[in-house]
Amino acid sequence: MLSRTDARAEGSKIPAHRLRFTDFDLTLPALGLLVLFFVVPVAILLARSVSEPVPGLGNYAELLGSSTYLRIFANTFIVSGLVTLVSLLIGFPVAWALAIMPSRLASVVFAILLLSMWTNLLARTYAWMVLLQRTGVINKLLIGLGLIDKPLPLVNNLTGVTIGMTYIMLPFIILPLYGVIRKIDPAVLQAAALCGANRWQALVRVLLPLAIPGMAAGALMAFVMSLGYFVTPALLGGTANMMLAELIAQFVQSLVNWGMGGAAALVLLVVTLALYAVQLRFFGTDRMGGR
Amino acid sequence: MKKILALAAAAATIATAMPATAADLVISSWGGTTQDAQKIAWAEKFTEKTGINVLQDGPTDYGKLKAMVEAGSVTWDVVDVEGDYAAQAGKNGLLEKLDFSVIDKTKLDPRFVTDYSVGSFYYSFVIGCNKDAVEACPKTWADLFDIEKFPGKRAFYKWSAPGVIEAALLADGVPADKLYPLDLDRAFKKLDTIKPEIIWWTGGAQSQQLLASAEAPFGSLWNGRMTALAQSGINVETSWEQNITAADSLVVPKGAKNKEAAMQFIALATSPQAQADLAKATGYAPINLDSPKVMDPELAKTLPDAQTASQVNADMSYWAENRDAIGERWYAWQAE
Repeated sequence: MLSRTDARAEGSKIPAHRLRFTDFDLTLPALGLLVLFFVVPVAILLARSVSEPVPGLGNYAELLGSSTYLRIFANTFIVSGLVTLVSLLIGFPVAWALAIMPSRLASVVFAILLLSMWTNLLARTYAWMVLLQRTGVINKLLIGLGLIDKPLPLVNNLTGVTIGMTYIMLPFIILPLYGVIRKIDPAVLQAAALCGANRWQALVRVLLPLAIPGMAAGALMAFVMSLGYFVTPALLGGTANMMLAELIAQFVQSLVNWGMGGAAALVLLVVTLALYAVQLRFFGTDRMGGR
Repeated sequence: MKKILALAAAAATIATAMPATAADLVISSWGGTTQDAQKIAWAEKFTEKTGINVLQDGPTDYGKLKAMVEAGSVTWDVVDVEGDYAAQAGKNGLLEKLDFSVIDKTKLDPRFVTDYSVGSFYYSFVIGCNKDAVEACPKTWADLFDIEKFPGKRAFYKWSAPGVIEAALLADGVPADKLYPLDLDRAFKKLDTIKPEIIWWTGGAQSQQLLASAEAPFGSLWNGRMTALAQSGINVETSWEQNITAADSLVVPKGAKNKEAAMQFIALATSPQAQADLAKATGYAPINLDSPKVMDPELAKTLPDAQTASQVNADMSYWAENRDAIGERWYAWQAE
């Protein structure tokens, strides 16, 4: 994204005669791959969505005209929004703690974060199933402690999907937030205190606004990833919590209706790109840690 | 030691990176214990007999099969599919006609033979119950749909396939010989009455997990999974009352690279001994009518083909005809 004039304006240390290599031609192989593996498949998808089973916009009409499909769209956004919100609420304190804790302790926490990311997604999802089910560890513990009489319905519903997906999204929120919070000069908090702010005011009026770019980057990442989520909602949710990705998989794998599958996939893509555009407009690439 | 490990790792990398050679036969099935059994009962015997190496792939994915055939780049030679899908895909030109001069169909159960497919094994949806978790076990489909008499969650197969709709209609009092054409309105109305109590299972292992953990103490399961649960020492009960049978089929995708070897493979897989061996390992029934002759009679008694007294046959040709329409309604209803 670094254009030539930008680089100069920022006093880049790259010598002028080498600057031309940062130009367009070097990006050609990457662009070629992008065209081959992204643009072409999307074009095929688009073509199928308007040509199968009959030419026309019938698939889109069916998709947007059916209350069931619209509910799946709405559900996808509600679940993604919920997961993003919960991830932010849990992720912010963790990122903050990471930024101020001694580096040795921080590296342990990082190791835990990354290990969870590197563990197979399916294994993690099944683990949650075992933990959350009626006869699972959490319910048994709560009953054993006398806190509840009847097992709580924690899985095969929205609760299960939210817990499972939040767990998977947390590292994607914490890592960018950590990057941003670390860069905040501790002196600004001291300055706030000197100006008479109490701890709460310092958090809300100084730290939070400064951390917004990190939150925005993390939230966008979590939201967009959630929109396309498949395995976790399919296993931890009920059929009423179906998300778009599962609907698409059903169209493609089970009903072998590629027209509808393509149409649903394209709607998801367009909405995702629109969201990204909105975010870019409000926060810009540089403020999102794009550089 | 380290060197040996590194060498072994390198060798393993190369081995997995190597594409299937032209002579290798590639089989796709559904994974899990059933595919393991198919590997031992069929693939290893086939390699012994012909010297042709058999590679296992999966899970079977109808979208992928269609894509392979359309792209003219078919990497699967023999595919284990659901019976109704086989009937439909054959008509839609996605499959090779089977060579019945190689495959002896005279002894195969005619319910499971078409021009394009032969049965792989046949199974029943039965009513399974974890006896330790409940006071009484449901015996009939009507019981399983009665949440007052049998409170608790019940497990049902999630995908649109023969089984659940038939069970709902039987529970609602439709006689077994009047099931088809399926009265979908009536079936969904009946299913509505227990919808909040249903936990859907997407694969055999999950159905076992649900029952064993008593997350859903009873439900509709494949009979082979119940056999396996009982063998693993869990106190379960299987009711064969109105067991609903359907079959998997073996097919050859159009344009498969090793068509001739594929026919030989299917011939072996459907032979009396191979079918008997698979039945022994899985608890599913053989589709070769001579297989019971080479089986332990005690074992034969536990298979679906010995439970014909109140057996209900899912109508594969009806499903093939209406597969797409039922599927769309099925998934829409689930998501409501």
